Amino acid sequence: MEFNISQSVRREDVPDKIAGIAKYIGDYKFKDMLYARTLRSTEARAIIKNIVFPKLPDGYCIVDKGDVPGRNRVKIIDYDMPFFADGVVNYIGEPIALVVGKDKRVIESILSQIRVEYQRIEPILSVEDGLNAEKPIFGDNNCFSDYTISKGDMVSAKRRAKFVYEGEYETGYQEQFYLEPQGMIGVYEEGKVSIYGSIQCPYYVKNAVEECLGFEPYRVRIVQTTTGGGFGGKEDYPSLIGGQVACAALKTKKPVCLIFERNEDIEVTTKRHPSKIRLKSYIDENYRVLGMEGDIVLDAGAYSGLSSVVLQRAMFASAGVYNIENLVVRGRAVATNKVVSGAFRGFGAPQAFFAIEMHMEHIARELGIDPFEFKLSNILRQGDRSTTGGLYRDRILLPEMVNRVIKMSSLEEKKKAFKEKRKIGKLNGIGLSMFFHGGGFTGSGERDHIKGRVRLVKDDKGYVEILVSNVEMGQGAGTTLRKIAAKTLEVPLSKIIFNNPDTDRVPDSGPTVASRTTVIVGKLVQEASEKLKERWSEDRVEVEVQYKYPEGFYWDNDRFEGDAYTSYSWGVNAVEVEVDPTTCEVKINGVWAVFDIGSAIDERIVKGQIDGGIVQGLGYASIEVMEDRSGKIMQRKSTDYTIPTSMDVPEIKSELMCEPYGGGPFGAKALGELTLVGAAPAYALAIEDALGVKINKIPVRPEHLMEVVQNGK
Amino acid sequence: MVKVYRPSNLKEALEIISSEKCTLFAGGTDLMVKGKSWSGLEPSFDRPVVFISDLDELRKIKINEFFLTIGGACTFTRIIDNSQIPDFIKEAFIMIASPGIRNMATIGGNICNSSPAGDCLPLLYAMDASVVLESIYGRREVNIEDFILGPGKNVIGWNEILTEVRIPTKNFKIRAYRKVGTRKSTALSKVSFAGLAEIEGEELKDIRFAFGAVGPTVVRSRRIEKKIVEMVSEKKLEVGEIKKMYGSIIKPIDDQRSTANYRREVCLRFVENFLMSCKWR
Repeated sequence: MEFNISQSVRREDVPDKIAGIAKYIGDYKFKDMLYARTLRSTEARAIIKNIVFPKLPDGYCIVDKGDVPGRNRVKIIDYDMPFFADGVVNYIGEPIALVVGKDKRVIESILSQIRVEYQRIEPILSVEDGLNAEKPIFGDNNCFSDYTISKGDMVSAKRRAKFVYEGEYETGYQEQFYLEPQGMIGVYEEGKVSIYGSIQCPYYVKNAVEECLGFEPYRVRIVQTTTGGGFGGKEDYPSLIGGQVACAALKTKKPVCLIFERNEDIEVTTKRHPSKIRLKSYIDENYRVLGMEGDIVLDAGAYSGLSSVVLQRAMFASAGVYNIENLVVRGRAVATNKVVSGAFRGFGAPQAFFAIEMHMEHIARELGIDPFEFKLSNILRQGDRSTTGGLYRDRILLPEMVNRVIKMSSLEEKKKAFKEKRKIGKLNGIGLSMFFHGGGFTGSGERDHIKGRVRLVKDDKGYVEILVSNVEMGQGAGTTLRKIAAKTLEVPLSKIIFNNPDTDRVPDSGPTVASRTTVIVGKLVQEASEKLKERWSEDRVEVEVQYKYPEGFYWDNDRFEGDAYTSYSWGVNAVEVEVDPTTCEVKINGVWAVFDIGSAIDERIVKGQIDGGIVQGLGYASIEVMEDRSGKIMQRKSTDYTIPTSMDVPEIKSELMCEPYGGGPFGAKALGELTLVGAAPAYALAIEDALGVKINKIPVRPEHLMEVVQNGK
Repeated sequence: MVKVYRPSNLKEALEIISSEKCTLFAGGTDLMVKGKSWSGLEPSFDRPVVFISDLDELRKIKINEFFLTIGGACTFTRIIDNSQIPDFIKEAFIMIASPGIRNMATIGGNICNSSPAGDCLPLLYAMDASVVLESIYGRREVNIEDFILGPGKNVIGWNEILTEVRIPTKNFKIRAYRKVGTRKSTALSKVSFAGLAEIEGEELKDIRFAFGAVGPTVVRSRRIEKKIVEMVSEKKLEVGEIKKMYGSIIKPIDDQRSTANYRREVCLRFVENFLMSCKWR
């Protein structure tokens, strides 16, 4: 069956979703199913002295740390987060116990009668306090991770430098705000626990539940249910609640359903790490950035979660798309008594790219030179080395991409016109950002930890089922993987089957994260399809392939040296804004984007990712404000934590350019996260252009702009 | 299980609420949020509910040379779609929430919810609107500023229904309505503002300002408005002075949506812009 791989096809998952017949976790009703609701800490940091429970009616029970048969620690990377608080609590909202029973009203009544007696401990509520903690939450220095990367010769760079510029950049929380809140159902049958849920990573949940229950692998099964969005929020957190419902099912011997309400989900689940990034650049008389010192501090919240890897990605992206040969960057993930920071589309990169893009612009402005010329004269080229000394092997199309975006957006004409408009009080501005995203796990994750396996099974009627642990969560993975198989096997798409994964049936092809599903898993699907094709004449065939680290690449995980990623995708965004001179409200008048994601596996799916990622990035930059007061999140409702609506963003004009990656299926590279990364700096730069002020912090709130304007430019 | 009534006319509704304390349910867009419970459970109402959104008596819109009268159960969409209502009044309703909510939410409900951020309130304050409250014993008319006492608090009795909103149909040549929300749609207000002025030739006859979401109730000062008229007639308008006067009565708070400084500054800038745009100078 010949078809162009990029040409869009109808997505198999969509009709049921539109018709409302797709079954989400909230639609499952098991026989005798019980409901659970979580008793949570109301203190940011305390010792639990005692818990007084009311007399429980028949059929109702409490599930807490005493009901964890295995290890009461969630295996994410380390083991620091308990399934149920173990004598201490470290953030407001930390789970202490589940109240389980049949009638939700009775459960609520029991919950309202439970009295927890706390002995308060002075909480650590900021990274500054966290870095000087008298009573650390974690280790001696209160950092979950403290890394340094360096390359080149900083001493010589400093000596040769003619200009030095230093700036500090700050980014806030961001909540994933998937449409479907977190939810899991645990079922215990004949010695085996099955967990159904809205998840990105079936095998993460499986590993965590096995350790939680102390069960052998064959006694734990995870089934993904139709998932209404993840954005990273269902990477780590489901391991926690998966263990909780497993314990509850084991104790009650009945199915137990735990589904979060929206406001609960906003308040207690993981979010994007707030960051403070200090960059100091050393520049020579030809305006080349000779060296850079960086200091990245992430607010990790109360437990380590995925912070170490988020921090690595932020550090490795700290020089942005610029070739800075001498570099020292320190990164720390600091423990605070706040909600746990976790995975979110971009995974450390949005913070780093906001910092470096603003930094480069500010340098140019300080030196009185054209920012585009300055950026382009320092830009990465094929053959340059990354922050960790890895080689950029493929062509980097950034200069062409920048030119294209400038043309699409009429950037130069607009810059001129806006200058004139400002004279009559019209505050328009346009900003441009350049960025990349490394596809797949950072460092040697794919090689040393995941070792993904993909299986294809062909039946005697010629139907081929793709057996992988990667999930369709709205991003189009099911269709993308099916297209790769169909194209390789040269069979019609209708012959390829993709079901939601069930760990009893699928091998561990790794989690649905890190923009890896197409580039890494898709490649394995392609390889498996090639193998299957050779045996097509057999009645029933099963083939399995496993990830092999590509030849010629190198990574030293102890020294953080070598190729942090095996492929890079690139992007250029331009955003045009208009600032209301009275209210400082910012209206987005235009968004233009060019991406190099290698070949597009499905143009409509790609466009969906581009539009969604950019809007999410613009929300991050503008209206998605989340702050805490004494450790309690203030924007706890969807009315107060606002994400953009279709009214807030104009039509996004985007194009693709293609430098294929030989290691990806049909030359495809990473896509999902890249699309979010560049929106925030482009937006902030547009506001700088409109107002002639310096922006060092996102979200850029009108409240802040008002203060800046009040205090005089 | 909550007991519900679905009366077929106003009289029936008034009789029901005169015999027991009930919750009146017009559009429900605020009540359903307030009564929200764990999904799968019914929303919580502590009293019987009376649905009044379908009562014909409450869905009329009338206009004559003195008053625009809008029935209490008129939805925002009904108001927006009505051809007799002037556009500048509609503008305040168009900015509210989203199409779905505008199809359900009613003007009477919005007033009785008495939120300081209620989006139609600043305009109603500025227009000197009043509300008609009816019970089986008769009807009374109360000025909007006397009706609302504080957040969620007003003078309606248990046995009363807000049947009409009466807006004097005075024509204002200069008018401004602004809502500053957290986003462009489906947003709660950080600040809302209504400004009206009537000018004859070079003479300022009347000027009114009302500010929402910056205090426990909408802020309006007849004293300052009078002062502005005086200043203009004496050709001594000092905008800075006026801003200072408003600054002393607009006392917003910092909250999860905005800051006190921002809210106050935006209000004062709206006043300044409005005054600067008037052509008597």
